[in-house]
Amino acid sequence: MFEGLKSKLQNIQKTFGRSIEAAAVVEAPAAPAPIPGKKPDTFVSRVKNLVIERELIVSEKDINEPLAELEMALLENDVALDVSDAIIGYMKENLVGSHRKIGTSVDTVVAGALRGALLQVLGEGFDPLAYVRAHERPVKILITGVNGTGKTTSIVKMAHYFKINGFSVVLGAGDTFRAGAIEQIAEHARRLGIKVIQHQEGSDPAAVIYDTVEYAKAHNIDVVLADTAGRFHNRKNLMSQLDKIRRVMKPDLVVYVDEAVAGNDAVVRAKDFNDLVGTDAVMLTKADMDPRGGAAISIAHTIGKPILFLGTGQGYDDIVPFRPETIVDELVGVEG
Amino acid sequence: MLDSLSSSLKDALKKIAGKTVVDRAAVEELVRSLQRALLQADVNVRLVMHLSQSIKKRALEEEPPKGMNVREHVLRIVYQELVGLMGNAGKTDLSRQTILMAGLQGSGKTTTTAKLARYFQRKGLKVGVICADTFRPGAYRQLATLCAKINVPIFGDPAEKDALLIVRDGIKRFAETEIVIIDTQGRHALEDELIKEIVDINEIAAPDHRWLVIDAALGQQAAEQARRFNEAIGIDGVLITKMDGTAKGGGALSAVSETKSGIVFIGDGETIDDLERFDPDSFISRLLGMGDLKALTERAEEAMADEEMDVNAMMRGKFTLRDMYRQLEAVNKMGPLKQVMSMLPLGGMQIPEDAYDVTSTKMDRYKVIMNSMTSAELDDPQIISGSRVHRISRGAGASPEDVRELLKYHRVMQRALKGMRGSKFSMQRMMKRFGKSQ
Ligand SMILES: Nc1nc2c(ncn2[C@@H]2O[C@H](COP(=O)(O)OP(=O)(O)O)[C@@H](O)[C@H]2O)c(=O)[nH]1
Ligand SMILES: Nc1nc2c(ncn2[C@@H]2O[C@H](COP(=O)(O)OP(=O)(O)O)[C@@H](O)[C@H]2O)c(=O)[nH]1
Ligand SMILES: [Mg+2]
Ligand SMILES: [Mg+2]
Repeated sequence: MFEGLKSKLQNIQKTFGRSIEAAAVVEAPAAPAPIPGKKPDTFVSRVKNLVIERELIVSEKDINEPLAELEMALLENDVALDVSDAIIGYMKENLVGSHRKIGTSVDTVVAGALRGALLQVLGEGFDPLAYVRAHERPVKILITGVNGTGKTTSIVKMAHYFKINGFSVVLGAGDTFRAGAIEQIAEHARRLGIKVIQHQEGSDPAAVIYDTVEYAKAHNIDVVLADTAGRFHNRKNLMSQLDKIRRVMKPDLVVYVDEAVAGNDAVVRAKDFNDLVGTDAVMLTKADMDPRGGAAISIAHTIGKPILFLGTGQGYDDIVPFRPETIVDELVGVEG
Repeated sequence: MLDSLSSSLKDALKKIAGKTVVDRAAVEELVRSLQRALLQADVNVRLVMHLSQSIKKRALEEEPPKGMNVREHVLRIVYQELVGLMGNAGKTDLSRQTILMAGLQGSGKTTTTAKLARYFQRKGLKVGVICADTFRPGAYRQLATLCAKINVPIFGDPAEKDALLIVRDGIKRFAETEIVIIDTQGRHALEDELIKEIVDINEIAAPDHRWLVIDAALGQQAAEQARRFNEAIGIDGVLITKMDGTAKGGGALSAVSETKSGIVFIGDGETIDDLERFDPDSFISRLLGMGDLKALTERAEEAMADEEMDVNAMMRGKFTLRDMYRQLEAVNKMGPLKQVMSMLPLGGMQIPEDAYDVTSTKMDRYKVIMNSMTSAELDDPQIISGSRVHRISRGAGASPEDVRELLKYHRVMQRALKGMRGSKFSMQRMMKRFGKSQ
């Protein structure tokens, strides 16, 4: 994941570096004339100031070309158009008119701005294990998202992750709509030795999930994970059904699942789900398909919620906790 | 977001409309807003750059054909280039055939398999379905449940792990069946073993079609994925799923371009009947956003509230002559028709310029003609045959040409309104979006 964006971004940093360097040569301010009657040490410091700490002002013109390049790289890597606009805007704001001391390397300045932009967009991380440890049990987690993004697989992976980290879990088969969905989650659970509460196909999903929570309370289970049927954010009745489920379950965390390969629509639906039922954290699946990773940036920027996990394959172990700094280090290169 | 996008397209178009010669700055502005619309629809970044270069070049270098103004000339080029991007519509016919379904995990292969079974069954053909997904738990149950609803036989075995075995036996089992559809497990470009599996299935089944199922939301990955599938089995058609959401399906165009094939069907819902043949015009209007539908519908609603015109029904394509009559009556309140229609950024380009030229005398004549139609004719203009045309023209004291012109005008309007539709839920969606953006 992020391989494509990474190599592009690193090239662009160099371009930025060159443009600003070039600007430095042309626009270096003339040395101020020495003021007579000052102490010699001031003169020394003035020279030092001239040679090492003289400040340069970066103009928009200097960075237009690399910014255009950065924009292309972001778009090609599936960062949604609006989000790419925001990142470019941030870069501009941070570089144009900034005073750069001549002693600092241009690369550091650019890397700093880019790192700042990406970290701002990716937001804070989220440690699910710490969360569960700190919380009253059972911790109730509701999974939401559009059709086919990998909700059921992800919920099973999360259950497995919590289980190997020492927590007891129960699954609620809340997709009572899609043909074969109950069998799918039940079979996964059977293979992993995890309890699943299920009703009939076509039954009320809120009822199954309610029963799952009751089961967890009665059996001192640490974590409840409730699956739901995929639904599109523009279907009013399905979204209000989800809202009803949320009201019945009273989840501690609503985890919204989308896939790394989604393009610009990732932003639209993430926003609608967040507005209509609320999202606390995001799981981004199918990261193994896509070395680009733009959707992570798009979604995080749009709803400002942390990304919890990446899904990286169809196996139960293909789940990786998401850490923004690690990703940004990878993209921009380690700081310093 | 979408709103501002289409309005920048609209503004760019307006600027061109005022010119007498093709103006570089105006063309560049148009191309820029077009680029943004296409990028936001997930059309491949390189395809977009290529397309905009070629639109710019043609708009500036080609002479406008005689009798065509600058705006029409530029729009025609934009339209032609966009249609070129769509490829040819994917081929399908009703002959005996085997279809192999391929695609990424969760793209909608199984659901679309059942929809296709339904489609061919409706055409009176015998259909059989093979479940070659031996990986995903519940995959057999999913397909079996869907097929049971429509009484289509399914071959498969949830306990068997070897997909090749199932395909071999399934092909034998359905030797006498006219249409055989093979559903497979999901896979992606980097999964060499799974790619090999579908290569082997392709060899055993020797299908007539190998269709790639693409989720409408798929982004820039589409090109890379399609290239790998095409290399592996030779894709000859693309199916887009989940067009009932808000995604624009631009990724599918990358797939079309990589595979040199075309889009065959569009899936736009979770039920078995939600399958449509591909229509480039409505696809394009969706790609570019629906334009200033808000202003249009608001003004339309305002003007027509008392006329009880059902704007929603019109958007669904139920635009009868009766509606048109009311519309003509309301036109004064709404402003000139041309202005109303041009609020749709490029929906307008499918409409011949003279369609707008409804002068008030013409409008009056149309009303007189419609007054001599029967109720049934007003509700369903399709039934107006040659003899009816003559009867109406005599009744209205007009020529048969006038009646035919009116009918043509109605068809144009109906098409235009339908083009705005894009998908079943777009109206609600647009309303919601507009509601929010206020
Ligand atoms: N390659 C890959 N496939 C995945 C991943 N997560 C889920 N899938 C597959 O995507 C398909 C849809 O997943 P599912 O969990 O049923 O999606 P749901 O409809 O959202 O519940 C299945 O074939 C899964 O095996 C992932 O991280 N990587
Ligand atoms: N709304 C909508 N959902 C769809 C459409 N096609 C498939 N789906 C849903 O997308 C999910 C994945 O579809 P499925 O056929 O299982 O995908 P597969 O993994 O490729 O076989 C399921 O929840 C389907 O109901 C469509 O056109 N519209
Ligand atoms: Mg599911
Ligand atoms: Mg399937």
